[in-house]
Amino acid sequence: MTHKISRRSVLAGGAALLSMSAMARSALAQEARLRVLWWGSQARADRTNKVNQLFQEQNAGVAINGEFLGWSDYWPRLATQVAGRNAPDIIQMDYRYIVEYARRGALAPLDDYLGSVLKVEDFDQVQIKGGSVDGKLYGISLGANSAAMMVNAAAFEEAGVDLPSPSTTWEEMAKIGAEITQAGKRKGFYGLSDGSAVEPLLENWLRQRGKALFTAEGKIGYDANDAAEWFTMWQNMREAKACVPPDVQALDQYTVETSPLSLGKSAASFAHSNQFVAYQGVSKDKLALRSHPLISKDSKGGHYRKPSMFFSVAAQTKDPELGAKYVNFFVKDPKAAEILGVERGVPESSAVREALAPTLDELGRAMLDYVSGLGPLAGELPPPPPSGAGEAEFALRNVAEQVGFGQLDAKQGGETLVNEVSQILARG
Amino acid sequence: MQDTAVTVGTGAPSRPAAQGRLARIWARHGAGYMFLLPWLIGFFGLTLGPAIASLYLSFTNFDLIRAPEWVGTANYARIATADPKFAAAVKVTFLYVVLSVPFKLAFALLVAILLDRGVRGLTVYRAIFYLPSLLGGSVAIAVLWRQLFAGDGLINSLLARFGIEGPSWISHPDYSIWTLVVLSVWQFGSPMIIFLAGLRQIPTDMYEAASLDGASKFRQFYKITLPLLTPVIFFNAVVQTIDAFKAFTPAFIISGGTGGPINSTLFYTLYLYQEAFGNFRMGYASALAWILVLIIGLFTAFSFLTSRYWVHYDD
Repeated sequence: MTHKISRRSVLAGGAALLSMSAMARSALAQEARLRVLWWGSQARADRTNKVNQLFQEQNAGVAINGEFLGWSDYWPRLATQVAGRNAPDIIQMDYRYIVEYARRGALAPLDDYLGSVLKVEDFDQVQIKGGSVDGKLYGISLGANSAAMMVNAAAFEEAGVDLPSPSTTWEEMAKIGAEITQAGKRKGFYGLSDGSAVEPLLENWLRQRGKALFTAEGKIGYDANDAAEWFTMWQNMREAKACVPPDVQALDQYTVETSPLSLGKSAASFAHSNQFVAYQGVSKDKLALRSHPLISKDSKGGHYRKPSMFFSVAAQTKDPELGAKYVNFFVKDPKAAEILGVERGVPESSAVREALAPTLDELGRAMLDYVSGLGPLAGELPPPPPSGAGEAEFALRNVAEQVGFGQLDAKQGGETLVNEVSQILARG
Repeated sequence: MQDTAVTVGTGAPSRPAAQGRLARIWARHGAGYMFLLPWLIGFFGLTLGPAIASLYLSFTNFDLIRAPEWVGTANYARIATADPKFAAAVKVTFLYVVLSVPFKLAFALLVAILLDRGVRGLTVYRAIFYLPSLLGGSVAIAVLWRQLFAGDGLINSLLARFGIEGPSWISHPDYSIWTLVVLSVWQFGSPMIIFLAGLRQIPTDMYEAASLDGASKFRQFYKITLPLLTPVIFFNAVVQTIDAFKAFTPAFIISGGTGGPINSTLFYTLYLYQEAFGNFRMGYASALAWILVLIIGLFTAFSFLTSRYWVHYDD
């Protein structure tokens, strides 16, 4: 059985196909598409979508497809899309991953657009540097934040304990925690969350000791003694019931909703300042933002202002200039800024910040005041974490749990942690 | 052949005999293959193709973004000698298989025997008992499990009535694996249905003869039911074991993707997923996947080899 197709019909069919693809191409030329991918809550999505709408209105012929996911689903999705040559044009990027993605050639360098399309001259230069890898700019900061303690002010008041101040030490904090637990005003309620596995908290503590999580060369920045002392401090708080027991802490998936503070198990948890809005959103009690405790009264503090997240432009995008234009709109346009507020952190542009300040609600105000009021507690931005930093955080959590549940003592924990992190970093 | 025509055919015109045979085969089985086509496309495009690709990737360093880089057997060498997390994951997974499969089968058999006693409204009960299996692998159930077994969850509220203060089961390294085992046992529906069908196959005259000879119910179970049911038990055991090795969703949801606390719910598949998508090591994860294929293959082969000593086929 053979089918005979005349040459004429083949030609005709081919011509039809060609004209169809030509039509498709002209349609594309009329309408540029930008896909934007970010992580975050519904509140963030609502704000972002409104800004996207605004951008479309002001740029005829540009269609924006926005998509958002939760933090833990975000990274697998992004990795598979980039691997499948199907990367979104605009990628919300984290300080932890920017090195991984930039070094693998997944992001477009933005240096050529500085001054022309990207007008970020009034940004804090340190924050611009935070988006650079190997001397090239790969991410524009969407806002500054800092590590912070979220405190349940109502629970403190019930227990008759004063809120911690910027000069509160860890020793005092342990006492405060134990007092709140002992006050027993709420069932199964403790003073503090167990922060021994919280990496930014450990980092803050290390910085006060003149150490760091990672060195500029991408090696581990502390030794087994530091880590052992860290675990000992938390072991003591666990024994004094200043913080939640380990099986309560293990429920924490380090998201807003699963933290002991949000679950009503503790009066203080450790997070980032821009999350204050989200924490207050799921809490019935009034919350307050506080800086991390000090290792001693004369300590300078271990905070730093960091880009809470970036927008990066994918290397695979068809039109990087349009991407840069979108990013610029996002961080500089006054109307966009008003919609976005401080939900992604305090805007980096001083002009935007000044315009925004009077429009903020109480929560936004508290956050702005916290980040800009850190003063001497805030130091220099550390270098971006090396490849493997994500895995190192897992290792900290794992070892902290082993110490918490008593499978290792603090000294063994310190040795194990330093060993594991060194191996992870060596593997890259 | 005219030179104004393009020939589209299944065979070369110089071999008319072969062409004729193909045409005959096509005429006879063509429709069948067309019906198979969706499956064939799925099998070659979505199963076999990626499997072969993953075999290749398992010998490379592949970070999902840059091109894979050939590293020979380095991934396998690391798995065998220098990966403590692999050892932890294998331990957890074996523990899960060894605990969940026997409990699940025993429970399924028990319920099947009870239902086989000629309960009224059997179909209704059967449907109800099967329900958890339909829901089982879903995210919603895993989330529900978190609520049930958390520190202030339903289970502890019940225990509190008896004055027992339970720990937070899902987040305690000594108990978390058990919550997953219970979840698995709860989904006893599909082995139960198969057991029920198997029980129906056993001729009732055997039981009549046995009770005439004065054999107790217990003895009848051991001497008649169990031996005659061994082919079904064997089938269920193999299927459930393979399923248990491949379990992923419950551990992923209950531990929030970490396999914690302290790797106590780090299923093999979860570790594989972390390496592939969390740590950008697709090559290494591919090697892990092939090791899992090997482990499951060995287990299944072992089951088939030993089956001749305990499985009775009535033929």
